Amino acid sequence: MKTKWREEIGFQILVNGFLLAVLIAIVVPLWRVVMTSLTPLDLYNKSGVPAFMWPWDWSFAAYKQVLQQQLFLGAALNSAVITISGTALSLALTVPLAYALSTRSLPGRNLITTLILFTFLFHPGLIPDYLLVTRLGLQNTVLAIILPPAVSVYNTLVMRAFFEGIPEEIKEAARIDGANDLQILWRIVLPLSVPILLTIGMFYAVWFWNEFFTPIIYLNDLTMQPLPVLLRNILMSARLNEYLEYDAYTVSPVATLQSASVLLTMLPMLILYPMIQRYFTRGALIGAVKE
Amino acid sequence: MSQFMSAATTRVGRAQRSAHSSGGFSKRVRQLGLAMWKHRWIYLITAPTLLYYLVFKYIPLYNAQIAFKEFQPLLGIEGSPWVGLQNLEGFLNSIYFGQLMTNTIFFSGARLVLGMPIAIVLALMLHETRFAFFRNVVQTITYLPHFLSWVIMFGILLMLLSPSDGLVNEIIKSFGGEPIAFLTTPNWFRQIVIGSDIWKETGWSTILYLAALLSISPELYEAAAVDGASRLQRIWNISLPGILPVIVLVTLLRLGNILQGGFTQIFVLYSLPVYSVGDIIDTWVYRSGILDFQFSLATAVGLFKGVIGLTLIMVSNQLAKRFAGRNLY
Amino acid sequence: MNKRLNEIFKVALVVLALAVVLTACAPAATPTSAPVPTKAPAATSAPTTASSQPVAAATTAPTVVPTKASVPPTTVATEKPVDLELWAQPSVTEQGPPPADWIAYKIVREKLNINLKVVLTPTGADGEAKYNAAAAANSLPDIMQMVSASQDNRGTMVRLQKLGLLGPVTTLLPLMPERVKTHYDDPQRMKMGQVGGVQYGLVEPPPIPKREGYVIRKDWLDKLGLKPPTTLDEMFEIAKAFTEKDPDGNGKNDTYGVGGFINGVGLGDRFDFIMGGYDVPGLWDLRDPGKIQLNVRDPNYPKALAFFNKLVTAKVIDPDWPTLKRDDFRAKWKQGKFGIMWEDFSALASPSNYVTFDKNFPDGEFVALPAPKGPDGKAWYRVDTSLSTIWAVSKKAIDAGKGPAIARFLEWTATKEGYYLLGFGEEGKQYKFDKDGNIVFDGLDPKQVWTAPESQMYTQLRNNLIFTNTPQELKVRYPAYTSVKGRTVDQVQFLKFFQSQPWVAGAHLQVINPHPKAADFNRYYNENIIQFALGQKPLNDQTWADFLKGLDGIGAKDWETNAKKDLTDAGFMK
Repeated sequence: MKTKWREEIGFQILVNGFLLAVLIAIVVPLWRVVMTSLTPLDLYNKSGVPAFMWPWDWSFAAYKQVLQQQLFLGAALNSAVITISGTALSLALTVPLAYALSTRSLPGRNLITTLILFTFLFHPGLIPDYLLVTRLGLQNTVLAIILPPAVSVYNTLVMRAFFEGIPEEIKEAARIDGANDLQILWRIVLPLSVPILLTIGMFYAVWFWNEFFTPIIYLNDLTMQPLPVLLRNILMSARLNEYLEYDAYTVSPVATLQSASVLLTMLPMLILYPMIQRYFTRGALIGAVKE
Repeated sequence: MSQFMSAATTRVGRAQRSAHSSGGFSKRVRQLGLAMWKHRWIYLITAPTLLYYLVFKYIPLYNAQIAFKEFQPLLGIEGSPWVGLQNLEGFLNSIYFGQLMTNTIFFSGARLVLGMPIAIVLALMLHETRFAFFRNVVQTITYLPHFLSWVIMFGILLMLLSPSDGLVNEIIKSFGGEPIAFLTTPNWFRQIVIGSDIWKETGWSTILYLAALLSISPELYEAAAVDGASRLQRIWNISLPGILPVIVLVTLLRLGNILQGGFTQIFVLYSLPVYSVGDIIDTWVYRSGILDFQFSLATAVGLFKGVIGLTLIMVSNQLAKRFAGRNLY
Repeated sequence: MNKRLNEIFKVALVVLALAVVLTACAPAATPTSAPVPTKAPAATSAPTTASSQPVAAATTAPTVVPTKASVPPTTVATEKPVDLELWAQPSVTEQGPPPADWIAYKIVREKLNINLKVVLTPTGADGEAKYNAAAAANSLPDIMQMVSASQDNRGTMVRLQKLGLLGPVTTLLPLMPERVKTHYDDPQRMKMGQVGGVQYGLVEPPPIPKREGYVIRKDWLDKLGLKPPTTLDEMFEIAKAFTEKDPDGNGKNDTYGVGGFINGVGLGDRFDFIMGGYDVPGLWDLRDPGKIQLNVRDPNYPKALAFFNKLVTAKVIDPDWPTLKRDDFRAKWKQGKFGIMWEDFSALASPSNYVTFDKNFPDGEFVALPAPKGPDGKAWYRVDTSLSTIWAVSKKAIDAGKGPAIARFLEWTATKEGYYLLGFGEEGKQYKFDKDGNIVFDGLDPKQVWTAPESQMYTQLRNNLIFTNTPQELKVRYPAYTSVKGRTVDQVQFLKFFQSQPWVAGAHLQVINPHPKAADFNRYYNENIIQFALGQKPLNDQTWADFLKGLDGIGAKDWETNAKKDLTDAGFMK
């Protein structure tokens, strides 16, 4: 018993030491980004970004500048709309397909897999997509942003792999009880798949949240643009600002603005992730099954 | 019953072959009909997704025929004159073709071979630590770099690696060494690209493996503990097999996209002195775009990449079936 | 069932509810999508051919229209208003487009009978992608600014024209005499808007030509007791001193002589003053008016590269130069990292930019230098490409008979009313005149004045459609700065000095079509030049001859021949 303990302690030291090393490797450069976003203009121009600053030296000028944009609130709202509706739509379309593909006895399953894999491998590029979206009359609507990329083959197949991990016996038992596939998906598969639903949901959400290219292409109205586009424009103008004639709109150097805007975009995810993490505890699944 | 079903399944793909065994044909059709009726609910709920694929994936693929045409907007897709593989010729005949392919495959290959194992190890470690709070902190912090854009990453790298005032070079200098221009030296550029990509994406890619680890039944671990298996044995015999399906799946899909070399990263990081080791297909296509509006070239190269990806995924799918007992189907 | 399961059910419920909504939506989308690939192209192309007659009609009509065209409001008011969509690059990218209740919209509607809609397009590659996509779907707007990621506005225009998407503007010019007088008066410049002798582009006056120049830290020179360099060799010696003799006196070995980054082909135009000393600035050799060839064919070119390599091996140039981006470069000179550079006059000396440098180095001072002489006494500042904004009109708009309305609008922008409204906003709100007729802002609500962020949406068109660099504009756009120590830093003085230097006239080079294998050619050219410059490749007769041979191997000769043809066709060469 004693050797067991010793082994366990040694193992934990190894594991946590490794994690600590990883943590440091990640935090150091990241810390730099945070510091950059907080460096006051004068200091930045004098000596660049310092390795450490006391909180009373921090400058929130860059954050202020981003947040004070007239278009900021609107853009944040647009982003929220795109992210929420996009994620909901994506999940609503992905879950049934993933479930269908996880049903090994489904006639046509291989055919469908092949057909969607095909679209995973062949990317027609911008122009063929654009021609479709304009013919459907979707340009200048949110649908142009959320519909074309709604289902990701990668996410579908990953979700399928998890669905396949659910023991067939549970489903079979339900089937014997007279449940149809809809009920099985609804009552058994989904409740057992919360971690993967959240994971895939998060993949989708992050994707929609960061997307800036399709809004630029499909939305003409600047007031419809989401946050990443606005932030890009702010940066672009901070850059052009070097050419600007009269007193700047910018009170912060480009690098500072860049870091601040990136941290601002991270913020919602930073809040969301720990909430999701609650469901990422070991045994969450099986506990539910047993009940 | 299940035998019939698998027969029915393969039928769909091999309609012609089974057609000549006309004796059991009508019987088989009936069985197929029965099997399909049994799964009618699945078809019903899957219908919107399939419709989505038809409209938003296959119509663009149909539109992608502009790859073989000299696309004229006024003539439309069908009306534009057919030019065959001419749009691809500029790429295939490029004096840099070989180099572009090598670099592209090198980068995506290295990401796969180096990046994935590191992500898996990190996931395993996160799974094994007993300190839940520490795990949450590490997890949350390590996935953050995913959100940094490559433009910001360039700033960080410059701050670390600049030969004039970069941190790493300051250290080298303080030991009396000569500063190294990491970002503009061909011998270093690849390492920088791969390293920075691993730094940025590893945390984010652990999420998937962690989710897979969490869906392994704790009873398996408990049973192993009772049997006196060591930690490492448990990882080797339970954890890894438990996430093998996900590993195989991710590997296969990544292989399918082997010719996607990571455009944004390269585009931001590369510079003329390192083109020989940094230029990839997508950056070349981007630079060619000034010529033809990228109407057809980008589409043609996209399809070319698809053909390679398809071949690769087919072969590796067979290999995966043989060696890991897993494949995409 | 516990709490968690309840929550799980809630999630599931939402997902499923959405699935149901979607099933309801999806069929609605199908009817429109079904006929997509086959019918639609025919439908879009049909009206274009059908309505080609009005163009012919319009060609004969306008010549008689007199200068009165600038005040036509009453006559058109009875007709149905014309919808005009205009795509422009914003003047201030992070600010929005003009709001729906913009006063200019109202005036244009009432006086010109036009429903104007301004769409601001993204800059750079994103903007080009947007144009590409719109072009592919034949959904370009009525009037648009040509956008190019590679600064090749004319190239974009030519490509759109070749696709048949642009309409000629020849007939519109007589309809806007005032605009022609203020904007399109230079026939040489207007040639950049022609394809095959037909005018497709409206070529604006270039936004401040020759605006960059060669500058040095005067305070460093003074400290080390050195004189401003006049030749490249003197520059090298000074760069060496700047690197090694601690010109900022901080006791640290942390400065370099020269700083820069790559912008453009080869070593880029930021180092062209060095190539200029060897009489080989830029890509093309234009010295012989009847001939055009690549500068690398000149035996002086490798000598210039050898000089550059000397800067590199002597470590007197900031070693980050091959990978630096513009922002990093600018942050560096503001931190006093180097003393000799090439910079834009406004980026250097506009108050908002200079103030940071001034605070760091109150005694710091940049002075402009004339083009440095090479060993043979030659000196060029750079090639002046004077890139202009080009506006074009879609063929769709011309076919729909919108030509006169477009001309009416453009003419209005050149009237006093249109010019000030679009360039500066409303008088008394965004700006006012002082007694000398200068534009001033004092006494106005600082939240509303022309310079306030809140007002930018009203003048988004100013830089690309309105301004013509009049003295009045320059004065208000480029104010002088008084330094911490009371020195006056006048950016316009820098500009004037830069403009007085010897520049190679190269505006007409825009008409040269890119190399048919541009991606390969440019990479081969740029990569080799930089390898020679860095010493990654030894520079000797043999390697240089090999480089030229390789260049010919990917069609350099043909490109030179084509360049001559392009220039001849456009009327710039005989």
